[in-house]
This record gives sequence, C-alpha cells and structure tokens, in this order.
Amino acid sequence: MGDVILTMKGIDKSFPGVHALDHVDLEVRKGEVHALMGENGAGKSTLMKVLTGIYHKDAGTITYEGKEVEFTNPREAQDAGIVIVHQELNMMGHLTVAQNIFIGREYMNGKLIDDKKMNEEAKKLFDQLGINIDPKETMSRLTVGKQQMCEIAKAISHEAKVIIFDEPSAALTEAEIEELFKIIRDLRDKQMGIVYISHRMDEIKVITDRVTVMRDGGYVGTLITKDSTKDDIINMMVGRVIYEDPKTESQVAPDAPVVLKVEHLNAGRMVKDVSFELHKGEILGFSGLMGAGRTETARALFGADPKDSGDIYVNGQKVDIKTPQDAVKCGIGYLSEDRKRFGIVVDKTVAENSTMASMENFMKGIFIDKKKEKDTAQEYVEALKTKTPSVDQLVVNLSGGNQQKVVIAKWLVRNCDILIFDEPTRGIDVGAKSEIYHLMNELVAEGKSIIMISSEMTEILRMSDRIVVMCEGRKTGELGIEEATQERIMHAATLRN
Amino acid sequence: MEKIKENAFVKKIGFNTLVLLCVMVVLYILFAIATPLIKTNASFVSYSRIVSALNYAYFLGFLALGVTFVIATGGIDFSIGPVMFCSALISGYMLTLKGVPLLVCLLVSVLVGTIFGVINGFLVAYAGLPSFITSMASMMIAKGVGSVFTKTQSVSWPQSADANGWFRNLVKMKINGIDIPTGLIYLIIGAVICSIILNKTKAGRYILCIGSNREAVRLSGVNTKKWEMLAYIICGLLAGLAAIFYVGAYTTVQPGLGDTFNNEAIAGCVMGGTSMTGGVASIAGTLVGVLIIALLQEGILAMGFQINYQYIITGIIVLVVVYADLRSRRRRN
Repeated sequence: MGDVILTMKGIDKSFPGVHALDHVDLEVRKGEVHALMGENGAGKSTLMKVLTGIYHKDAGTITYEGKEVEFTNPREAQDAGIVIVHQELNMMGHLTVAQNIFIGREYMNGKLIDDKKMNEEAKKLFDQLGINIDPKETMSRLTVGKQQMCEIAKAISHEAKVIIFDEPSAALTEAEIEELFKIIRDLRDKQMGIVYISHRMDEIKVITDRVTVMRDGGYVGTLITKDSTKDDIINMMVGRVIYEDPKTESQVAPDAPVVLKVEHLNAGRMVKDVSFELHKGEILGFSGLMGAGRTETARALFGADPKDSGDIYVNGQKVDIKTPQDAVKCGIGYLSEDRKRFGIVVDKTVAENSTMASMENFMKGIFIDKKKEKDTAQEYVEALKTKTPSVDQLVVNLSGGNQQKVVIAKWLVRNCDILIFDEPTRGIDVGAKSEIYHLMNELVAEGKSIIMISSEMTEILRMSDRIVVMCEGRKTGELGIEEATQERIMHAATLRN
Repeated sequence: MEKIKENAFVKKIGFNTLVLLCVMVVLYILFAIATPLIKTNASFVSYSRIVSALNYAYFLGFLALGVTFVIATGGIDFSIGPVMFCSALISGYMLTLKGVPLLVCLLVSVLVGTIFGVINGFLVAYAGLPSFITSMASMMIAKGVGSVFTKTQSVSWPQSADANGWFRNLVKMKINGIDIPTGLIYLIIGAVICSIILNKTKAGRYILCIGSNREAVRLSGVNTKKWEMLAYIICGLLAGLAAIFYVGAYTTVQPGLGDTFNNEAIAGCVMGGTSMTGGVASIAGTLVGVLIIALLQEGILAMGFQINYQYIITGIIVLVVVYADLRSRRRRN
C-alpha cells in the first residue's frame, strides 16, 4: 500500500425525510483494493455518488491527491481520474467495442469519425490490460464478463487513478471473476486506488486489502482484511439495535396445513432450484441482499414471468400457473415492489383500482355495477384507513402509503388467501408503515397466509414467523423466528454456493 | 372556473367537450362572416351546407369512434380509411356486378371491416407487433385487396331512385322536398352505444386501464390480450359500418384511396380529448371533434380554397393537441 490518494471525511448528506449519510469517513491509498460493505440502504452508493459529483454533500471534506476537491458532475470527477465501473453495464449493444469505449469523445478525422484510430487506441488499452477482445466486435455479441472488461478499459482510458467497482461480479461466472481479479490486481500493482463494493464475503477476503463497513448511513469502522474474520465483518454490518420488538415466537399453529408448496422452481438467471412451503396463517419472510432473486422468485411463482421448471401446489393440489390470471384463480395475490409500474392504474379512481382484480363480482348483466363498486371500495377505504377525499379520487393524487393501501385493497376485494407482499413498506412513512404491519397481522389472524419479501432486517425480524434467505437466486437458509438473528440471516445472505 | 367544472352536467359531458362545442360555434360564425368576403356571391349560412357538412361527418364519425377504442389502449390504427374503402369496394362490387342482395352486401361491408379488425388485433395483442407497423401494413393490404377484387375499377353504388337505393335513407331522407339528415341519428346512436361500452362495461374499463398501465392490469390477473384485441375488432367493425355511410353520401368509391380519412378521424379523436398515450378517452369529445373537422372541410370548400388547405390545418391541429396533452401529462407526473 502506498500513499493516501483519496480521503473523504465527515461526509454528511440528507434527503427530505432521510439522513442518508451521517459523517462517513473513507480513506483510499494508492495500490490498495478497499472494500466498501454494508447492507441494502447502508449508504454505499450514496457515498460514491457524492464522491463523483452526482450528489452534493451537505458537510465534510473530500481530499484527492493532497488537494480539497468538490466535483459538481461525474464528468469533472472523470477528468480528474475518478471513475465508476457500474454494476449495470452502460453499453450500446449495436455499436462496436471501440465505439463504445470512446463514446462522447470520438477520435475525429475532420468532420468524420475516425474508426480506424479508435480501434487502434482500444487495442492498446486491451494490450495494457492483457485481455483479448477484438475492438471491431459488436458489443452485444460479447459475454457479460467481456462487456465488463470493456467497461474497465473505458475507465482506464480516462487515465483513472481511482476506480470504483460497484458489485462487479454480480453477473459473472467463476472463470470470469478470476479474470476480473487478475485485472484488478494488475491495476493495484500500477498504484491505482480501487474501491470495491460487493456483498460477497468470500471475494472480500480474496481480493481486498482493507474493508470499510457502513450501516444505516453511518460509518462503522475500517479493518485490515487479512487480520479479520468473516464474522467480524458481519457483526459490524448488522450490529444495530432493533427498536421495534422482534417477534420471539411463531404465531402459527404447529399443525397448520401447508397452503402453498413450491418445489425446485427455476426461472432464468435469478431463480435457481428454489423450494419452500407456506403454512396457513403464516408470514413467511424472504430476506436477502439486493439482487438475491426474491422478487424474481415471486414473479415466476405468480406467472408474471415465465418459469423454466418447478412444481407449485396450492392446498395440496398441483397447479399449473402460466399467467397472473392462473395465479389469481388459485387465490394468489401479488403486491409489487414497484407500485407505480406494476400496482396502480394512475388514470383511474380509487374505486376502479380496488375492483380491478375482481370485476366479475361487480357486474349487473353486461354493465358494471358502479354503486356496488363504490360501496365496496368505501368499505376498504375505511377498513384500511386509506386517506382519500372520496373513492372517486384518482389514485395519482394519493400519497405513496395510501396508494399502497389501494393495491392491498385490490387483493382483499378479490379475497385472495395467499398474498405475496414485495417490499410492502418501501417508500412509505413511519405511520403508514405500522398500519400496514398491523393489517398484515390481522390478515394472518383471519387465516390468510403471507409471503413478505423485505430488504429491511428489522421488518423481517418483526413480522416473520419463519424466514427464507436467498443469495444469488438460491435459497441459502431457512430459519424459524425463534432461532433467527441478524447475524445468522446475514451469514446466509452472503453465502455463495 | 372551478365551479363550472364541478357542475354535474358539465362533468357528465366533459369540460373539454364543452370548450370544443364553443370552438365549433365560433368556427361556424367565422366561416359565415369570411365566406362572402373572400368569394363573391358565396354564402356559408344555409341549410344545404349544414347537410353537406354532416354528410362528411357520418362516415368520419364512425371511423373516429372506432379508432377511439384503439387509441384508448395506447395503440394506433392507420388502416381505417383504406379498410373502409376496401369494404365499400368489395360489397359494392358484389351488389352492382354480381347481383347479390343489398342487405347481404351491407353485412359483407361490416364483415370485411371486422375481419381487418380481428387480424390487426391479433397481430398487435397476441403476436406483439407494434400497432403502428401493423396498421401501416394492413393499410397497404386493404388498398390492394380492394383493387384486386374490383379489378382496379371504381364502384358506383345505386342512386336513391334506383332499385337498391333505399339504403341511402340511412344518410338522408327527402320528406316534402326537405332533406332530413337521418345519418345524424345513427351517428348519435352509435356514439351513445360506444360511450356505454367504454364507460359502463368491463371491456371499456379494461381497455382504458390497459392504455394507462398494461402491466398493472396484467398482474391483476386480467387477460389483457383479449381486451386489447377487442378494441381493434370494434375499430374494424365500425370502419365497415362507416363504408355504408360513405357510399350513402358519395356514391362512388375508387380503389387505392382512403388514407386521408385516417388522419382526419384520428385528428377528431385526439381533439376530443383522447390521449395518444392511452388511458383517457372521450366519446362525446370524439363526436364533436369530428363535427369540427367536417365543418372545416365544408368551410374551406365554401370559400373556394383547395381541399389541401384542410389537410394542412388538420395536421397542425393534431400537432398542437398532442403537444398540449403531453404537456399536461408531464405536469401531472
């Protein structure tokens, strides 16, 4: 490890209602790989966005190469030599490799683009990195791993001194990861400072020199990787005090029947051989880090996305769910994590949204029975304490929490026995949150069963009777609430099979 | 202003539609003043001009009512004009040259339109083709089929005095030497039925919801493909019906034409407050929008200008209205 190249000290950043970064420190040296770790929402990405000028800090200092700096946009940071290799690849598939690398700063020959020169320059970059990619190849024909190499080459071409890798290995195969690590080590040997964001504990041990841990927007500490154990890091990640009472024991009767059984479900890259059971009256928590495949599992189960294989049993009967229509017929309702895109119809009223999934119960001959529709919607507005001037209000005018209640009402009107709640309290204020918790408890008391996907550890521990933990598309753990702790969950959530 | 908008009657009809009605009246007055100034010895204010403008409004109205359903789903149908002509050519050919009974021919006309609707709907909803491309292609096909069927001959439907001329009573009736615009009655009946379908039935509800947020509707367990296809079928059926009102007013149909009517029908539809992005539609608005287009056409001809000026004005109207709709949606989000 060489001299300090980058110091972030006391970085503070608030958004309306959220204290996203609370006096966070980070120090990166030349020739080191520095891991940045933390749960979902710990503030890692926000910190990197502050560094590269996407967000402006409220307080704190950034010192880069001995001088205090403040970048106002990513371009400035890039020009100074700080670049991010994003998790989502920002590549244009139909262009060639070289065209992608030099996008926005093409070599020109008079008024025309000089492709020949770009190909030569790209070749030089690849030689420097010791990778074998043809600059003239069309980007979309490369594997994800190779595309990532191109991203790295693009970063290097900016004469980077600090490179930030944001979960670079998420989509890579074992062999590709090896190649990635080789490149990272090369860059380290060339005295670059590298920030490595990842959830994979094993990789952290292999590739990084130091680890900085963040939790709930705050700085927890920095460790030397080789002197610390996996448990040390996990303890730092989860060591928060849980304010709300976690559930201490399962509320489900021991002989409660299985209402939903999923066996060996496979769907695309994100759902691999997932099996679990849901009992009557149970809240089954689905925990895991971002990209663990929980939403994908729910969507495949619900028929929203195609599945490759796997069997689903509802109340002991094998069912064939190909479309959401089939799932709804089986009494399954799905509350999406993305309300705006998948939940509500904004041009329609509260009443019209409430009856969306059960129109056939609101027909009088060929006509919609609008009175019955409004009465029912009103009933649920009152039961769920939805704040709306009337059921004729367009849902677009409601707050997030109240929109969520309308979507819940849609499934309650349908009288679904199995409810999948995907991040039910995301983007909802504290008051509405506890109302939704209360409601979920009432629903299971009535004998409904709930699968709750949540990225909030406190929510998982407070609501679940049992917890399934996923990592990279696989089920990596299953815990009864009695034995579940933050550490155990996090352990399973970072377990790579 | 807010008070007016909250009025029960205004809410029922739609504020936008009332504004549009005022625009129509103002336009009529403008034409009444301008026509004698621009062209000597010409007058706009006469009963025959109103009847003539209405003649243009009937077939255009049915086209626009149909395409309102498609636009409500967030799609578009550029084939309606040529499909209408294809219907009129095929049925007219069967009537005049093959001696098929009139009633059968009228049914064939509606059937041809419906078939195009089924094909368009299937391709868009089930095969997943973009509606823009699909309807462009079926527009070509409709033109071609019409031409091939009639061996590139134009078809003239019988006059009212002829043996099979009674169908013209659908468009206008002469009672004591006065033209009664009966077509208006049928157009209004058509609009009322469309309005009921759109606002009071499951089909209409889902068609609008699909236009607003297709995924949310699909994830509610609704067969979105079925309802989307239905919108195209309604559109095709009404294009076939429009053919009857076209020949009832204008007698002769030539092969290879009809695309200008697409644009006019769509213009009437968006002017009436139907959003090009889907999810919001007004049948009353469409009706008034079409009446304005028909009035424009009549006015421009009355002043002695070429019909091409009407195309320019219609084009500009579409741009302005769509831009205004986009602006108001952006503000809301």
